[in-house]
Amino acid sequence: MDEASYKILIADDNMSDRMILTAIVKKMGHTVISASDGLEAVNQYNEQNPDIILLDVMMPNMNGQEAAVEIKSIAGEEMVPIIFLTSLQDASDLAACLESGGDDFLSKPYNPIILTAKINAFSRMLKMHKILQQQKDVISENAEHLLNEQQVARAVYDNVAHSGCLDLPNLKFLLSPFSVFNGDVLLAARKPSGSVHILLGDFTGHGLPAAIGAMPLAEIFYGMTAKGFLMEEILREINSKLKNILPVGYFCCACMANLSFRKKEMEVWMGGLPDYYMFRKDSNEVEHIQSTHLPLGVLSSQAFDATTQRLPFNTGDKLFMWSDGIIESRNDTGDLFGEERLKQIFADNQDRSLLFDEIEHTVNIFTGESGKDDDTTMLEITMVEESEIGEAAIDLSSGAIHGPTDWKMAYTLRGDTLKTFNPLPVMLNILNDVPSLRRLSGQLYTLMAELFSNAFEHGVLGLSSDLKSSTEGFTKYYQQRAENMENIGDGYVCFIFDHKPTDAGGELIIKVIDSGDGFDYKLKKDSDFKVEGYSGRGIPLIRTICETLKYSGNGNTVEVTLHWDAEETE
Amino acid sequence: MARLNMAQVQELKEIMEDAFEDLISTYIQDSQDKLKQLSKANFDQNADMIGSLGHSLKGSSLNICAEDLSTIFKQIEDSGRSHDLSTVTQLLIQANAEFEAVKTALNAL
Repeated sequence: MDEASYKILIADDNMSDRMILTAIVKKMGHTVISASDGLEAVNQYNEQNPDIILLDVMMPNMNGQEAAVEIKSIAGEEMVPIIFLTSLQDASDLAACLESGGDDFLSKPYNPIILTAKINAFSRMLKMHKILQQQKDVISENAEHLLNEQQVARAVYDNVAHSGCLDLPNLKFLLSPFSVFNGDVLLAARKPSGSVHILLGDFTGHGLPAAIGAMPLAEIFYGMTAKGFLMEEILREINSKLKNILPVGYFCCACMANLSFRKKEMEVWMGGLPDYYMFRKDSNEVEHIQSTHLPLGVLSSQAFDATTQRLPFNTGDKLFMWSDGIIESRNDTGDLFGEERLKQIFADNQDRSLLFDEIEHTVNIFTGESGKDDDTTMLEITMVEESEIGEAAIDLSSGAIHGPTDWKMAYTLRGDTLKTFNPLPVMLNILNDVPSLRRLSGQLYTLMAELFSNAFEHGVLGLSSDLKSSTEGFTKYYQQRAENMENIGDGYVCFIFDHKPTDAGGELIIKVIDSGDGFDYKLKKDSDFKVEGYSGRGIPLIRTICETLKYSGNGNTVEVTLHWDAEETE
Repeated sequence: MARLNMAQVQELKEIMEDAFEDLISTYIQDSQDKLKQLSKANFDQNADMIGSLGHSLKGSSLNICAEDLSTIFKQIEDSGRSHDLSTVTQLLIQANAEFEAVKTALNAL
């Protein structure tokens, strides 16, 4: 539109003047609308929406200046150039015309060349204004779109990265986002067995790039934990996923922990994070736990080492976890908070229940107004009795009541598979195909875990459970376990599941046979099984879950029976 | 200054083309009406009316290239604006005479 055609309003009370202007403007190829006074000019503006206005100053009804003020206020952000028609002799009026919103003047007698020049100048200005307006609209649309996307992404991120069971009464946490998204991830989830998996991750960088990696990490963590996978298996999966998707130089410093309420044990894997502090209630001492691995997403699956550290973790013991944001926070003069200051807080502390708040408070005072350089994430885990936590909630999102009810299967694990593979998720998956058993999956998992560990550790490996009752024995137990593993030979553990429908619902019989030497179950009286603290073969635990428990053969075969009621499990 | 600025008249003719005669007759008709209103306003001693009619006629006369006539109307406008009407009667006689001369000149074009 080089030779743009505009709609031009000519407002002049003098008919002969209007005729001359109309002739000039029409010759330029524009359309003319005319008005004979100010009031008519305003009306014409409203109805016809002209692009440029030629406005006489002195007019009856409403003079040019009043009309200009009115029109400019109606136009708002829209650009409407107003050229006042006047004679140079009326110079004193010029200032008033400008004040009322006039953009230019045309003096009498009208000169077609000057008027053409002025109209052309304004038409160029209109074009630029239109482009500017369009770009402004595009920019504000984009900005709105971006903001909207960020808000949605933030909501998704928060749902994924900070969900799970962080609200457990024995967990205290602090998440301080450095930007909209922080690179820190803090996840907690119950296993079917009732234990808690915790993962604290610190991705390289900040913002969106760092947050994106958190999505698959959280998905794997929650999905596999719910299915009963072990820490090592979950860590392997996360590492290989992150290795695949993150660009070179991006990785995730992480600590994963398994908090077992029944074993009073903490299993820890740490990669690339600063030391964690474990406070012992009994000795009142602070132990340091060090990262022994590279961060997640650095090594290939083959090179990745998922070896964990197992530590006794008794009631009242506390573990403090953090990202590097704490010791790397800076004050106004740029000094690092550092590890020494952190140690000092532990040394000065009088009341262990206040430790968490003291750390947060001290770091906040240190950084002061300078804000935080890094994402600061901190978590305190306290060992409590399982009764304080409650049972793990099992997802019952599927409502089907049908499914396999009459079936039998045997599953035997031998050799290296027996040593390295965790059969529980697979078996639990099969049992979960019976919809009503899904509600019992927590108990089933616990039951099968006990049966498996009895058959494997005490049966196949021939370990004595008495060892685990002292701290020294605890270490020795795991040493012996590792030694015996090497000589497993043709040892095996066989699970036989037999599920039948009953009038009320169903009956599940699980028979476990191991290759071990067995034990003299006839000598153990029923009452022995129920003595508190007697951890022999975990039998008291199994008894609370099953209706019947029978040993047979030389003690290497155990059979448990469970009944489920369709109405109760609906 | 001239009764009719002929260079400008030529330009105006080029702009108006066929509508030139129409413009002349519109101007003459309009001016005659306004001159009558001026006489009445002078009789009424209505200074504001004299000012605004003078302003209008000043502008349209200038546009029609009647420079001398426009100058007389400017004096009338100024008298009205300054509320000094002592010379308006004299100026009106001049204006009517000059208008007749301009009319004759325009019609002769």
